[in-house]
Amino acid sequence: MIDEEKKKEILEKLKRAVINYDEDGARDAAKEALEAGLDPAEAIFNGLVSGMEEVGRLFERQEYFVPELLMCADALYAGLDILKPHMKKLDLGIKGTVVIGTVEGDVHDIGKNIVKMMFDVAGFTVYDLGRDVPLDRFVEEQLRTDADLVCLSAMMTTTMVGMKKVIDEIKKRNPKAKIMIGGAPVSHDIAEKWGADGYAKDASNALKEAINMISALKKLKEDAEAKAVSE
Amino acid sequence: MSTISPKERVLNLFQKKEVDRIPCFSGMGNVTEYALKKMGHRFADIHLDAKKMAEASASTYELFGFECAVLPFDLCIEAEALGCEINVYAHSEGILYPTIKKKLINSEQEMEITIPDDLKKKGRIPLLVEAIKIAKNRVGNEVAIGSYVLGPFTLAGQVMDLNELLKLSFKKPDKVSLLLDLLADAIIMVAEELIDAGLDYLTVREMGATSDVLSPRVFKNLIQKPLIKVISRITIPSVLHICGKTNQIVQFMIETGATAISVDQKNDLAESRKTLGKDALIFGNLDPYNILVQGTTEKVREAVRKCIDDGASAIWPGCDIWPTIPPENFHAMMEEIKNYKGGDRS
Ligand code: B12
Repeated sequence: MIDEEKKKEILEKLKRAVINYDEDGARDAAKEALEAGLDPAEAIFNGLVSGMEEVGRLFERQEYFVPELLMCADALYAGLDILKPHMKKLDLGIKGTVVIGTVEGDVHDIGKNIVKMMFDVAGFTVYDLGRDVPLDRFVEEQLRTDADLVCLSAMMTTTMVGMKKVIDEIKKRNPKAKIMIGGAPVSHDIAEKWGADGYAKDASNALKEAINMISALKKLKEDAEAKAVSE
Repeated sequence: MSTISPKERVLNLFQKKEVDRIPCFSGMGNVTEYALKKMGHRFADIHLDAKKMAEASASTYELFGFECAVLPFDLCIEAEALGCEINVYAHSEGILYPTIKKKLINSEQEMEITIPDDLKKKGRIPLLVEAIKIAKNRVGNEVAIGSYVLGPFTLAGQVMDLNELLKLSFKKPDKVSLLLDLLADAIIMVAEELIDAGLDYLTVREMGATSDVLSPRVFKNLIQKPLIKVISRITIPSVLHICGKTNQIVQFMIETGATAISVDQKNDLAESRKTLGKDALIFGNLDPYNILVQGTTEKVREAVRKCIDDGASAIWPGCDIWPTIPPENFHAMMEEIKNYKGGDRS
């Protein structure tokens, strides 16, 4: 058993490395965590992610800007690459598969990339289609990967309307898949009106929302299976 | 009665001469779906044909009395001339703005680019020059003809991956500085060619450097110098446009030497007016989507009055006029500016 003192020290190192966008530091701290026998999931969530949460606060207070955010994300990924292979499947409770992209005609992808990073840290399998993604691609990719969740990002009111087409098409082809939308011009009302299953105004809310949606989905599946067995 | 033409009004404003009322115009794209339908063009058609581009640029004056003709409608002109591939979504019936399909710089090692000597002959620059001449022939006696170039940083974000650029602006500012300086040269070449075609004013769009993305400190240290380089070479009235949060950088924007600055609805205009004093030319602040597209005519009128009261030097949308603007809102904007006598401007 690793002692509390040591654990705290390593978690703090992971956190600091992310905040100080120190990729090497994150790698070293991640290795140290594994050597010391720290639970990888704990190292990720109470170390790296908690660092990223602090970065989010610095961003909101306008102490950090997008470049800092991107560099902190790189540090987080550096640590994550080392810890993730050691994580047991059960660590997070749920395993989600997500398809994400910015819709056709829209190259604004800074926000989408931040949302994607949150999914990566949560241990989801993420298929990132990039930006300016032809609308059919979302539908095809969902069917190909059987993803639980499709995430659409748009930053313009002209491209945003493409989301509705994707939602309609996916609902038609695979009614089980969940869809979440976001981006500056998108709102709760629009999400509801267009039949999306979820909306979030920023990256951390996107993750919370995604976990809720995927858990609900898994529960439905399990209930259905349990029912099938008992009958 | 005033006999001054919209063109004189705009030119007088730039020269800080007396005007009968503030003008209503823009330095960015302003074609409407309404006009496209009337002309029988799709949005995708007006980027690749000089005649159609010119016709579209004159349409907001001809249909609504908007006091300018501005072309082109996309942000890819310089990047394309430098060797990027673009996508105009030729198949699309709707409004999809052209984007860069293939970047020029794919790694940090490729950042020391050479600017071709004959840049002005490349891509759509000759087409744009021709379109400017056609527009000038068509409405150039009545309204000011405008065009725009990108700012060096925003252009850098078009020719290379923006995320990489943003990180490098922090990790390797010298390298980025060098690229911005090279791109400034390219932009100057393009600007000179467009000015020669007969422009009345030129806007520099540097929205990639908004305070939503970059800190005011990085703006001052990295972005301002190449902007000054470009603007110092613009021989006609110039407007520096940055959207998003800008209150903390309006001072730096004015310091570039631009004749006027342009901001969007996220800027607290009254505050900027206070910071910059009564003589500075500040355009913008009118919300092109939530007000001009989504708002009622009454909301549009209110917003126009508020811009005037807050000290706008012109009624000028915070970004491109959004093509889906309802015609009645456009008319309301134009009418209100003529009717509203408030806003003590002395
Ligand atoms: C940077 C920028 C650009 C860059 C984009 C580079 C890139 N690779 O992203 C460049 C210069 C290329 C650009 C081009 C254009 N742009 Co621009 N751009 C911006 C700007 C300044 C910042 C956007 C940004 O990155 N914000 C920071 C990120 C972190 O925030 P975010 O994207 O909102 O993301 C967060 C949330 O929205 C949410 N989220 C995002 N996606 C998702 C998805 C899901 C599923 C969920 C749940 C949540 C979620 O989480 C994110 C993190 O918290 C905005 C203005 C602004 N201040 O917003 C204009 C803006 C978006 N652009 C605009 C316009 C008009 C254009 C152009 C059309 C201009 C032109 N004439 O060509 C072109 C369009 C090109 C194209 N076809 O796509 C307009 C859109 C207007 C409208 N109402 O539709 C804006 C709003 C500017 C304005 N004042 O009007 N632009």
